[in-house]
Amino acid sequence: MADNHLEQIGVRPPLGAYFREMWRYRPLVQTMAIAKAESDNQNTYLGQVWALISPTINALVYVLIFGFLLKVGREGIDNTIAFIVVGVFMFRFFERSVMAGAHSLQKNMNLVRSVQFPRAVLPTAGVLAELTVLGPALVVMCVIAYFSGFLPIAGRVTIDWYWLLLPVAVLLTWVFSTGCAFISARLVAQTPDIDNLLPHVIRILMYASGVIFSVDRFVSQFSWGWLMEYQPVAVYLYLVRSSILNETAYPPDAFMWLLGVIWAVLFSVVGFLFFWAGEERYGRD
Amino acid sequence: MTDIEEEVDFEVDPEDLGDAPALQVDSDRLSLLVNDLHVSYRVFGAKKVGHGPARDWGLLDRLVRRGAKQPAIREVKAVRGITFAANHGEAIGIIGVNGSGKSTLLRAIAGLIPPVSGTVHVAGNPALLGVNAVLMKNLSGARNIMIGALALGLSRNEVKERFDDIVEFAEIGEFVNLPMKSYSSGMGARLRFAISASAVPDILMIDEALSTGDAGFRAKSKAKMDEIRESAGTVFLVSHSLATIQSMCTRVLWIHEGKLVMDGEPREVCGSYKQFVADRKRHAASQK
Repeated sequence: MADNHLEQIGVRPPLGAYFREMWRYRPLVQTMAIAKAESDNQNTYLGQVWALISPTINALVYVLIFGFLLKVGREGIDNTIAFIVVGVFMFRFFERSVMAGAHSLQKNMNLVRSVQFPRAVLPTAGVLAELTVLGPALVVMCVIAYFSGFLPIAGRVTIDWYWLLLPVAVLLTWVFSTGCAFISARLVAQTPDIDNLLPHVIRILMYASGVIFSVDRFVSQFSWGWLMEYQPVAVYLYLVRSSILNETAYPPDAFMWLLGVIWAVLFSVVGFLFFWAGEERYGRD
Repeated sequence: MTDIEEEVDFEVDPEDLGDAPALQVDSDRLSLLVNDLHVSYRVFGAKKVGHGPARDWGLLDRLVRRGAKQPAIREVKAVRGITFAANHGEAIGIIGVNGSGKSTLLRAIAGLIPPVSGTVHVAGNPALLGVNAVLMKNLSGARNIMIGALALGLSRNEVKERFDDIVEFAEIGEFVNLPMKSYSSGMGARLRFAISASAVPDILMIDEALSTGDAGFRAKSKAKMDEIRESAGTVFLVSHSLATIQSMCTRVLWIHEGKLVMDGEPREVCGSYKQFVADRKRHAASQK
């Protein structure tokens, strides 16, 4: 067979070759991400404005319920509105990234079944699309957080040098979310039933990560409290909050930054390997 | 069996295709080697599919599934042991009745569906593609050209260079900026063909794509196929139109129930296939 230069196909490429291929397909990732971000709100009158309105309404509902009706969102927090808005915007990005990864193969099955390219392109593009939508939403988030500080009931939010850390925190969250999207993509591709469980798992994670109220109380109350404090989602929320808010319970912390880097590297590497290990099966189901 | 009428269509006037027999490109070098290929895929929530009788499920099984007669997941054996080799420059037609495994075979050759057992070896750069469903209907034609061509491995600059050619070849004009869902089926098929052919692949696979085109487009796509074969590519064509197969292919594979029935000259294989379909039709009529 050597004289005819035949190569076997339909088998998983070696990891190194796969990674190089993935790098070569960068333009496809970008194009698909932009196309997906643009087409998401295509069928509405307001179009892309919904990418800003939806998370804002979402956050305001939580502010109303947890901040004012239940008051649980106010314990140990100086500025409830800013705290919840930042939590909801950032967690929403993580949640949508994981779901985008979960649906990335199913939604692009036409493409998967007609052209041969590294399938890791799909979850990566799905998360990148969420990141492009997150960009403008972050501006809205910062504006709301800043102006909520002028309300008499809330603590002041000041603009300082720490704000420059926000892009770094978002970048780490993005890398971590991409790793999670790889994992959810393979799990759902293999067992579609997991798609139905994912929203519930994410909901539990939301309440366990202090998105809408501070988990400090639980952290000091139980011996396993550190688990809740140092799990990745909580770490990234901490990083973003410590960057732009003036919460006394969330001072900038070098250890948390280190953890943020470790989680991002760990999840992206493990996620990529996990996804690659199933590569040859993705078109089949 | 009322669907037999659909199996062979004679909608294509042979005059449209010209009298010239398919261009012969001589080459002894192998471009593709398929060895005892078996392919199956999972189907969720399926009733009886595939070949062979349904299994008789026991009482316990049925209780677990709350009375459903069939399990939720079925393994469909679409290709069951196919072996053949193809040379550079060949145009190979694949015929067979609906559900005989033609499309699945193509996908397996393209490396899109991993085989259960058996192997597929391809020459050089396996830039394989199918024409049947590269596109996303919510996106504009322009976006689809970008995504499709990039997915085929072209660079951003190459796509920009060939963009106008693709639009022109597909004859979609102003529609290029409208979402694909507003396209007629002919326009969609033309765009798919244009994108797939733009990469000048080593192996081009065309699955029923030409049936929606008009005579002019069919002539153009035949010219494109010849071009690909002259540059040492191999073309696979799945079609229910025997006239199309006979005018475009140098060799025909007849597949039935996932197995290779016949492999040879287009005239000979198409003749036997026609005979087979006619026999089945007569048989079905006598059963009524």
